[in-house]
Amino acid sequence: MSSTHTKLSKSDILHLAKLANLSISDAEISKYESQLAETIDYVENMKELDTKGVAVTSQTTDLTNIFFDDGLVNNRALTSEEAVANSKTKQNGYFKVKKIM
Amino acid sequence: MDILGKSAVELLESLKKKEFSEKELFAYFHKRIERYNSKFNAFLTLAESTDENHEGPLGGIPFAMKDNFCTKGVRTTASSKVLEHFIPPYDSTVTIRMNQSGAVLQGKTNMDAWAHGSSTETSDFGPSKNPWNTDRAPGGSSGGSAAAISAYLSPIAIGSETAGSIRQPAAWCGVVGLKPTYGRVPRYGVVAMGSSLDCPGPMTITAEDAALVLEVIAGNDSYDATSSPVPVGSYRKEMKKKRKMTIGIADEYMENISDDVKKRVDEAIEIFKKQGHTIKKVKLISPKYAISVYTIIQRAEVSSNLARYDGIRYGNDRTHFGQEAKRRIMLGAYTLSYGYYDAFYKKAQQVRTLIIEDFKRVFNEVDVIVSPTTPVTALKLGEFEKYPFFGEVMDILNEGAAVSGIPAINIPCGLDSQKLPVGLQIMGNYFDESTILNLAYQFEKETNYFDVIKKGFERYKE
Repeated sequence: MSSTHTKLSKSDILHLAKLANLSISDAEISKYESQLAETIDYVENMKELDTKGVAVTSQTTDLTNIFFDDGLVNNRALTSEEAVANSKTKQNGYFKVKKIM
Repeated sequence: MDILGKSAVELLESLKKKEFSEKELFAYFHKRIERYNSKFNAFLTLAESTDENHEGPLGGIPFAMKDNFCTKGVRTTASSKVLEHFIPPYDSTVTIRMNQSGAVLQGKTNMDAWAHGSSTETSDFGPSKNPWNTDRAPGGSSGGSAAAISAYLSPIAIGSETAGSIRQPAAWCGVVGLKPTYGRVPRYGVVAMGSSLDCPGPMTITAEDAALVLEVIAGNDSYDATSSPVPVGSYRKEMKKKRKMTIGIADEYMENISDDVKKRVDEAIEIFKKQGHTIKKVKLISPKYAISVYTIIQRAEVSSNLARYDGIRYGNDRTHFGQEAKRRIMLGAYTLSYGYYDAFYKKAQQVRTLIIEDFKRVFNEVDVIVSPTTPVTALKLGEFEKYPFFGEVMDILNEGAAVSGIPAINIPCGLDSQKLPVGLQIMGNYFDESTILNLAYQFEKETNYFDVIKKGFERYKE
């Protein structure tokens, strides 16, 4: 475990919540301050390993350049009725969203 | 009808001999669910059987499916209130393949919400209970599937892993649970958690049933670009070949485990020796680093995957997320966006490379690596709240295979002093499910898992 202790402030937590579009209560804020800091302290142990010049892994089975074959029909495409079936805010077969402009 | 405890392979034989009909078989399990589900909270939604005479390699076999696999027309919640009323308009690839194999969906099983957890207690629909002791957690996140198999409410179940979510509940409930190689089984239509980690897999009462289900669900899928084009093995045939293996044991995977677990695992290793396998000491990077890699990568992927839940196209809005999901999303946002990208995310991706190279090196020397599946047996419900890091600690021995993408299986290897199941883990090389299934099968033939599976469902005979 790392000897340095991460500190997250209330405004850090609020900023993260804003980035993630989450609403959180005051009680949650103080809880997350300590819990997130505790987790970050733990993962600092990675510093014990030398990774100089080590390539990053984003895919574990070495696949590259996977494409849909030309001419392949997407037979799993949804109809517009199916696509909006679960929406609570729809109109004339469309999703209804708040005005952006 | 003598059905209790029959494997899928045996049930298929009985159906063929017309000892009972498909309809009778479905009704048998349906009745058990009705009798016991309130005790275990294993199922969230039940499906209805419609037509009879399903053809295929699993023709007529009922199955349980974790509630993060989309099932067309059958509610799929991932145990979150966000998706409380979501009726998928399409099937996951695994659902399609199970249906095409003739298996019959019984219902959808409880899990940690979004698969975030290792006890099924973060479910928004209440925890599942461990059939071995209902004061204890079944493990998770595929806890509902594990409980359903353990109490024989289903002969086979589909679970999913990001790190440990099949193996750990299988260990705690005393059943077989296989996490295939990453990309062996397509993820299309599975509620995404950590996309570079997620692996669907079978939970069963025999190694052969796991092989049978894997043969059905494995294979390339053009709708999942990360699914592998490597040909699918004849697992059932391969697993029955008489093989003598070199089994790797790593001190790093035998540390910080309870005495009870250690004792049972040591006994299992003695059995492997007796069977003529060679035991070889190997050295692996400590799994404590796999925890860190997993924590960073998984949280980052969670924060991205759970961004889609906007409450516009389907589901409820983001105020319906539980605390665990919020905690994970925010940590992911932190490591990806706070100017700490290099220190956390990139570092984790590099350490991930080290762990992969480490396993590849060891698999040049040995056929499999054996360890305990979990450091302790099933904990009491409520314990998880004491540790914000609960899942990672319970899954410590599972995370190496998860972050590297190699396959691994849990099989029961006895009971501890509290009469709770102990799980043995066998890890294998990439796409070498045949070898870990082969060793599991040999162990099963030799020991019948010390009757753990049998003792599990015999508590629920009625």
